[in-house]
Amino acid sequence: MKISNILRLMFGYRTSCIGALIILAVSSVAIAADVIAPKHYSDVDIVKKLQPPSWKCIFGTDHYGRDVFSRVVYGTRIALWVGLLVVLVEALVGVGLGLIAGYYGGGLDKVILAITDMTWALPPIVLALGVITLIGPGLTQVVAAIALVSWPPFTRVVRAKMVSLKEREFILAARSIGESSLNIIFRYLLPNIVPSIIVLMTLTLPSAILSTTALSFLGFGAQPPTPDWGAMLSEGAAQLIIAPWIATFPGIFIVITALGFNLLGDGLRDILDPKLKI
Amino acid sequence: MPLLDVKGLKTYFYTNRGVVKAVDGASFTVNENEIFCLVGETGCGKSVTALSIMRLIFPPGKILSGKALYKEEDLLKIPESEMQKIRGREISMVFQNPMNSLNPVFTIGYQISEAPTVHFNLSKKEAWKRTTDLIRDVKITDADTRAKCYPHVLSGGMRQRTMMAMMLSCNPNLLIADEPTTSLDVTIQAQILDLLIEIKKKRRMSVILITHNFGLVAEFGDRVAVMYCGKVVEIGDVTTIFRNPLHPYTRGLLRCLPIGYKRKSKLGFIPGTLPSPIDTPSGCSFHPRCEHSTKSCKLREPELVEYEKNHFVACHLYER
Repeated sequence: MKISNILRLMFGYRTSCIGALIILAVSSVAIAADVIAPKHYSDVDIVKKLQPPSWKCIFGTDHYGRDVFSRVVYGTRIALWVGLLVVLVEALVGVGLGLIAGYYGGGLDKVILAITDMTWALPPIVLALGVITLIGPGLTQVVAAIALVSWPPFTRVVRAKMVSLKEREFILAARSIGESSLNIIFRYLLPNIVPSIIVLMTLTLPSAILSTTALSFLGFGAQPPTPDWGAMLSEGAAQLIIAPWIATFPGIFIVITALGFNLLGDGLRDILDPKLKI
Repeated sequence: MPLLDVKGLKTYFYTNRGVVKAVDGASFTVNENEIFCLVGETGCGKSVTALSIMRLIFPPGKILSGKALYKEEDLLKIPESEMQKIRGREISMVFQNPMNSLNPVFTIGYQISEAPTVHFNLSKKEAWKRTTDLIRDVKITDADTRAKCYPHVLSGGMRQRTMMAMMLSCNPNLLIADEPTTSLDVTIQAQILDLLIEIKKKRRMSVILITHNFGLVAEFGDRVAVMYCGKVVEIGDVTTIFRNPLHPYTRGLLRCLPIGYKRKSKLGFIPGTLPSPIDTPSGCSFHPRCEHSTKSCKLREPELVEYEKNHFVACHLYER
């Protein structure tokens, strides 16, 4: 299916259209953060601290007098960047293991599956906390920690697809014209799995963002004054009664971003379904 | 000098319920430039024989013993990397179900060009020309447009033609056609087989035609081997076998064919059913269903002997 076809379908389908528009909006905010934000995210103006939202500063200010709107806008960058990075690393690890397990089968498959199941059985946040305790706090560490614990869905999906695909006759046909194993994996099997991987990536992205936010909320992720949404939530939580806007706006953005990716993923799942092929 | 000489091929499948002797000592030869038919009931090991020659047997299956001499080289012994060069360029295979034999995510042009591009290092332009020529060779009209189609928009017959184009793309000397027409309707069947014959003549290659249809054998075959329970029970020229079938199983099969002018007579049948491949009968595996069965049939397995010139049969009735 051509890219133009996919795009046409994506915007013609209500769920994915809304999702795509949200992602587009959030991404443009991230890209144009320097233009959109009225102030730098770490500009402190202690005189104007804890100002409620007004026309001059629409999301209000926090307890250091920093502009919440600017911080939320800059936070978009971190959320998207971290989310994408986590998902990419997850996909790389998970898909790689899934391809090997599904194609070669046998003992290798059993070992990989056992590792996958064990990793999946561990509570991700707790395991990530453990990893961070070992390697220290920080955004890079958060990416590594989350990716390290949440690749199993990719392995499971890819392996399951491989197991059924490799029994299909076109794979036998490919072998009978003398294709090597490597060629069969990357030129015959993988292209058939890519749609599932894309869908899984869009559906995992929100949870990756939520996990990083959670770790930052607990103080293990981005360190101040980095405008991470999770860190902002936890800072705002202390002033929730007197200045609810500090925590509310980052929270709303987290929800919107996660929702956008989920809607897009759901839509893509339907669009990339082979039965619906145009 | 035969092109392919299969000797005592044994391929077993080790399942939880026991060992399935899918091919149990099959021997036959395929000469150059001929259509060799492999006939037998479903489950008698025809397809497994073909896949064994291509070395496409995967666990729990295993090729136990035997030889498959192709141009005096034993295909069952050479390393896998050598075998990959044989597949496609020397021997290739058309499968039963064209619906599943094509990759759903690529255009047929891409799929046809894939193997030759890899094997012969062609440029994009050369590969495209070769592809459209192949598509024309298998008689698909409007090759340039069709090459850009995905498999799901093509009909069954067109997919089987595409499959043939794909398998011919590296100029094989031997084409194995595993029931290429079973899933197509009768008119398309005839077209596909005519095409097969035409291509065979044009390229002077050999074809192993696997089928359960004696009608096709009579129409298209040069020589024929009849398989039963993983063994070849009779081999000979098509005319000889039709005129003078020796093995009781072959006779039985031929009796089962409806013949136009004898419309009122009853159709023959072979009593009993195909035995389970897990526990095949002792001695000659056909003896429980055979009308001529004697004591020695139960005890001893008959050997394939030459009854008359180029006509081999494995039955105690003809052993001297």
